[in-house]
Amino acid sequence: MRKVALSGLLARKTRLALTALAVALGVTLISGTYIFTDTINRSFDRIFQVSLEKVDVVLTPDDDLGGEDRTTIPLDRALLRRVRAVPGVATAEGVINDPNGTVLGNDGKPVSKGPPTFIASLEGPAFRALEVVDGRLPRTDGEVILDKGTVDREGFALGREVAIQAAAPKTRLRLVGSTTIAGATSLGGATFAVMTLRDAQRLTGKVGRFDAIDVGAQEGADAGALVRRVKAIAGPGVVVRTGSQQAESQSADIRGGLSILSTALLAFAGISLFVGAFIIFNTFSITVAQRAREFALLRTLGATRRQVLRSVLGEGLTIGVLGSAAGLLLGVAVAKGLKALFSTLGVDLPSSGTVLLTRTVLVSMVVGVLVTLVSCLAPALRATRVPPVAALREGVAMPETRSSRLLTPLALVLTTLGVALLALGLFAGSGTNAALTLVGAGAALAFLGVALLSPRLVPPIAGAVGAPLERAFGLTGRLARENSVRQPGRTATTAAALMIGVALVCFASIFAAGAKQTIAKAVDSGLRGQLIVQNQSGFGAFTAAAGAAVRREPGVAIVSPVRGGQTRVTGVGGKSRLAGIDPASFQRVYHLRVRAGGERAVRDLQDGQVLVTQDFADEHGTRLGSRLRAATPRGRAVTWTVTGIIEDKAGLVGPLVVPNPTLRRAFGVTSDQLTLVAFRPGADPGALKARIDALLARDFPQAEALTAEQFKSAQRDQINQLLGLIYALLALSVIVSLFGIVNTLVLSITERTRELGMLRAIGTSRRQVKRMIRLEAVITALIGGILGLVLGVGLSVLVTRAIDDFNLAFPVPTLIAVLVASGVAGVLAAVLPARRAAGLDVLSALAHD
Amino acid sequence: MIVTATSVTRRYGTGEASVDALRGITVGFPAGQFTAIMGPSGSGKSTLMHILAGLDRPSAGSVVVDGTEIAGLDDGALTQLRRDKLGFIFQSFNLLPVLTAEENILLPLSIAGRDPDRAWIDQLIDTVGLRDRLRHRPAELSGGQQQRVAVARALAARPAVVFADEPTGNLDSTTSAEVLRLLRQAADEFGQTIVMVTHDPESAAVADRLIVLRDGLLAEDSAGTAVPATAPAPAGE
Ligand SMILES: Nc1ncnc2c1ncn2[C@@H]1O[C@H](COP(=O)(O)OP(=O)(O)O)[C@@H](O)[C@H]1O
Ligand SMILES: [Mg+2]
Repeated sequence: MRKVALSGLLARKTRLALTALAVALGVTLISGTYIFTDTINRSFDRIFQVSLEKVDVVLTPDDDLGGEDRTTIPLDRALLRRVRAVPGVATAEGVINDPNGTVLGNDGKPVSKGPPTFIASLEGPAFRALEVVDGRLPRTDGEVILDKGTVDREGFALGREVAIQAAAPKTRLRLVGSTTIAGATSLGGATFAVMTLRDAQRLTGKVGRFDAIDVGAQEGADAGALVRRVKAIAGPGVVVRTGSQQAESQSADIRGGLSILSTALLAFAGISLFVGAFIIFNTFSITVAQRAREFALLRTLGATRRQVLRSVLGEGLTIGVLGSAAGLLLGVAVAKGLKALFSTLGVDLPSSGTVLLTRTVLVSMVVGVLVTLVSCLAPALRATRVPPVAALREGVAMPETRSSRLLTPLALVLTTLGVALLALGLFAGSGTNAALTLVGAGAALAFLGVALLSPRLVPPIAGAVGAPLERAFGLTGRLARENSVRQPGRTATTAAALMIGVALVCFASIFAAGAKQTIAKAVDSGLRGQLIVQNQSGFGAFTAAAGAAVRREPGVAIVSPVRGGQTRVTGVGGKSRLAGIDPASFQRVYHLRVRAGGERAVRDLQDGQVLVTQDFADEHGTRLGSRLRAATPRGRAVTWTVTGIIEDKAGLVGPLVVPNPTLRRAFGVTSDQLTLVAFRPGADPGALKARIDALLARDFPQAEALTAEQFKSAQRDQINQLLGLIYALLALSVIVSLFGIVNTLVLSITERTRELGMLRAIGTSRRQVKRMIRLEAVITALIGGILGLVLGVGLSVLVTRAIDDFNLAFPVPTLIAVLVASGVAGVLAAVLPARRAAGLDVLSALAHD
Repeated sequence: MIVTATSVTRRYGTGEASVDALRGITVGFPAGQFTAIMGPSGSGKSTLMHILAGLDRPSAGSVVVDGTEIAGLDDGALTQLRRDKLGFIFQSFNLLPVLTAEENILLPLSIAGRDPDRAWIDQLIDTVGLRDRLRHRPAELSGGQQQRVAVARALAARPAVVFADEPTGNLDSTTSAEVLRLLRQAADEFGQTIVMVTHDPESAAVADRLIVLRDGLLAEDSAGTAVPATAPAPAGE
């Protein structure tokens, strides 16, 4: 029996390859994701290990509640003195390592738009881990050494001046060398500017203060015991770790950051495998039907049902193993591709060799094989139900099963259940992992339900789509339509695979369009000032000195800084974003709608008071007068009274709003996230904007001033970039579904060989045959496209309902483009099958059975 | 002559394993004649017919259909020839299951993008007696009815010649007789040239002329001319 299964496989190489590919692509993304993240993690592990190798104990501010821009409350000189006095401490040194710097390139623009630029002090030889590649280390103030990656990228020559900006206005330092850490020229695209401690403190606005204190133990002192002793004098808000613990903690931070990415990538792999499952199911269903005679013959020759089952599952197993193995290998290439993709986005991730963990192999193989086996189980069971007597009858049909009668009710139940789960995930929990899982499972069930329902939808949709084709192409159009509804189940499954990809593309585009519109509306209705100053990178903080300088420009009436921090509120899970505003001026540059507490709530906001958004209030049952206990990075808690409930469609300030002085005192946040600027009446806005632009370019190139239009367009660009990434990843599942169309067509053509021979014999040209196949593919693809469009629209309506104040907008041109693209995809999928059908030899086709 | 074959040979395969299906056949089919080709299994009947119909190419020799030498034609030209000049009736009825009986009859015209001559089609439909079955699909028709549809289809485009390969091979004797009567009627009433391969002497008896093949050679021809076996002539191209 095994021979039967294998010979069956070899006889159908194209199908084998196409089916295996359906699994392989999903598995590719799984293994690619793992290899990619594992490789990066390992490189960073090494970098951190090496850089902390000589440090026995290190003190850092607790960064759990550091600002969103990684700002922390610096350590002070008094602490350094206390540390030096701890028994067992040989040396202790305060260092600066601030991630909010900017190095300017030859064009005067920041060298990095995404990854951070670190301003670091040169550690003493006892702790130093830098390797000088070219030039030398800085010796005096005014000298800087940069990482080799940046020096090479920018083509900086040694000896020239490099402009750097952090908290202080732009400063020029002489470039004296380039450096690597642990041999890595690139640290995820991050830039390192290393200078004297004095320069570093001055540039980062931390004169007399440090980002970390490195400690060297005396000969023979136990690091663990030393950590305990240092902890005793360090006080709250300071973390004390051994060097290796610190390296691990930094590695863990990187892993945490990457895990968001890898979870997202794996989700897309899951989508692609889900689509692949449809293809495998369909392919097996068709071939089992085509081979019914063969199974019957085997049964008459004495094969048991179990043997028939085993032979089909054996085929599935082979395909699963081959596909998964291919996917695993392709994953290596994908990992490289991902790295390349990220480096074009400016994130140059380090990698030292390719890391292929056993876990990667196991997960890829097991998932791939399981998906294949599960997908071919139903067809395999069907094969066992072919009665032996079928071998003797002409034109055997597969036995009709009870399950096919139950299909429609089952489909309805699944769809309903899916939508219910989806709604539950969306409305009951919010943003938690469990809720997201519910949403995912609900969507999958809904897709499955609609897929099962779709055999009923195929004939009407094919009719609607086919009618114009028939009018345009006559007989070939007619035959294409008829052929597509010949086996509605087959067409439905093929189309459903494409439907999933299309639905998600539509969903993403609708969601993005809504987000853009929501932001645009909020800016239009909220912004009363003329300019928004923000970090060039689009996120991250920048020095408050920039705003202060803008304020001095004649013609500027108001400069109102908005700052950002994080806190943990008792009774609220996780961290909450915390915004700081200048109450006196805020409402004059931005109109925040106050839902409760009165319009004056914003202007009157004082230390000890907090404004919360309506969302936050609804979710946590907060009312006017409620008291919130918020944790600070210093390890204490403060209590705030809710004095206003606001609406914040743009997400400009976030769920909690306090006055800036509170944020400075309790959270140490002194830099701005956004600075809103209003002009004096009568000021020439064009000229004033130009002066402000020039001012920022001269002294604070880290910041940029945007008009409302520019700000909206910057936000749109960011959303579009993300959307592009999502499209690219969804393209994978669309490609899988195209293979499904190819596969189904090839199998159907085999079935209809004799018909094609007859058509050719009575005068059908090759071109007509090709067109007929192509149109059939187009109809199938358009059915998928239409179902996907409807489902995508439905899904986005449902999901956006769960988001307060979301403006639902339909990007009609995009949606039409998606539909057209599905048709074009059908044409592409038909290339091979059409060529095959047209290339058939008329005589042998006629003799085909 | 509507169709003439001159010194046609056909060899399958090469070397040791090669089979000479036709070993030099010269034959002509005049307009309006209904010819039956008989002969033992493997004698080359189907091969000859396929070559006459441009479905297969001779190894050597020439075939002229309605004035066109077809030996050197490419696929497109052959397709055009089949479309314009030839009709086919196959042993297994070979209808398109997705089309109705009427659509199947009109199929050659639809393929060619020609408007049907309604009067002619109506006459055909009445001749084959399928007026009340026009909206049915092949699966809803009996074997005999399906073959009658096939006959009507072959005649629909008024081809110069209709080729039929064992058209009654899958039918019982009653329905066979019906189909043969139809072919006879086509020859008599419409002057249709017909070339029919058959196994069955009774079927052959309906024809005007009987040709017998044996081992790839023309063994008998009731048209009277004694046909001597000719050696394969060098290809005329
Ligand atoms: N495609 C082919 N390849 C090889 N040999 C063939 C092929 N078609 C026919 N033959 C051989 O050519 C000879 C004539 O076949 P055919 O014309 O089908 O005979 P008939 O129709 O009279 O039974 C037979 O010996 C047959 O085996
Ligand atoms: Mg034959």
